[in-house]
Amino acid sequence: MPVRHGLLALLSRGPRHGYQLRAEFEESTGATWPLNIGQVYTTLARLERDGLVEPGESDEQGRVAYTITAAGGEEVARWFGTPVAQTDRPRDELVIKLAMAVAAKSVDVAEVIHRQRTATMRTLQQLTKAKRAAADGVAQRLVLESMIFQAEAEQRWLDHCEAVLKEER
Amino acid sequence: MTFVRLAEVARVHGEGATAVHALKGVSLQVEEGELVAVMGPSGSGKSTLLNLAGGLDRPTSGTVHIDGQDLATVRDLAALRRRSVGYVFQDLNLIMSLTAAENVMLPRELDGLRSGRAREEAMSVLAEIDAEDLADRFPEELSGGQRQRVAIARALVGERRLLLADEPTGALDTRTGDEILRTLRARCDAGAAVLLVTHEPRYAAWADRVVFLRDGMISDTTDVPLESAR
Repeated sequence: MPVRHGLLALLSRGPRHGYQLRAEFEESTGATWPLNIGQVYTTLARLERDGLVEPGESDEQGRVAYTITAAGGEEVARWFGTPVAQTDRPRDELVIKLAMAVAAKSVDVAEVIHRQRTATMRTLQQLTKAKRAAADGVAQRLVLESMIFQAEAEQRWLDHCEAVLKEER
Repeated sequence: MTFVRLAEVARVHGEGATAVHALKGVSLQVEEGELVAVMGPSGSGKSTLLNLAGGLDRPTSGTVHIDGQDLATVRDLAALRRRSVGYVFQDLNLIMSLTAAENVMLPRELDGLRSGRAREEAMSVLAEIDAEDLADRFPEELSGGQRQRVAIARALVGERRLLLADEPTGALDTRTGDEILRTLRARCDAGAAVLLVTHEPRYAAWADRVVFLRDGMISDTTDVPLESAR
């Protein structure tokens, strides 16, 4: 539940209201995962139900600032202290597509690889452009780097597939 | 403006049955202010392409133009190379008995510049890449990344408007590699034409255009989006 823990982590820096949380979340992740305000309030309601945050008085504009509780602080510490499991990743469409293409025998696998590699390279170029533009936000840059490393891994895997399939032929 | 133009360039090494067709009819242009990356497996012709684009080698057929001049008609190729082309290769070839600044000055002194003037130019290009403080150090006193930056400064010094880089990030870590690309990119944005050979997708991604070489031919480029063509 990255949104839940992301909001808790922001609240551990001091009380904040919903719009502030949304802005800060997007600022730290480089707007890679846009949040809608409804999602923020639903998540805050659940956090309140679980005793991890407390709402304060509403101000003159009707905004309610939330404060993290002691249990919430412990939860954030636990989150930062626990590695993320690799098991929950969704199935990768590209991997399935290539496996199917190889199994089908009638498909030009080299062409599938070749098209994908060019498309992934374009993605990498766009990410790199965004990284160059994100000069002052270290958090943003690291989020983009994560995506760059993933795209790079995909390129390497595609090169590997091509080399292996060339040998098989 | 187009700074380098290769038209239907082929390069064959050897003859007869043992002939190796390193390039088979490649056409490629690099504009001023453009960074083009060439990717491809080993043996695909990447380095041959770079050598031809920089006038270090002549094509078997086809034409190469640098700065509007057909290389086939250029008498003093060495002079053209020195004036217009900067090279950054994987093995850095810094001279160990010269300081960083002296290494950078060397090509300008070969051009016949007085050493005072050559030093001024060297210092200004070192400043441009934030390496002024390295000027009086010897290569063995520099880290891998620092040496690479000095090698790039040497390639940039003077009015060289074409920069050729063959795996310039070598075995550097990704953060230092990024700094090298940032330097190349800045020079490019200032108007130089840059041709970069790399097998690392993350560095190729700094380019305006990525060209894939396969068996001596261009198999694809990123300049025409495939998605919209579908």
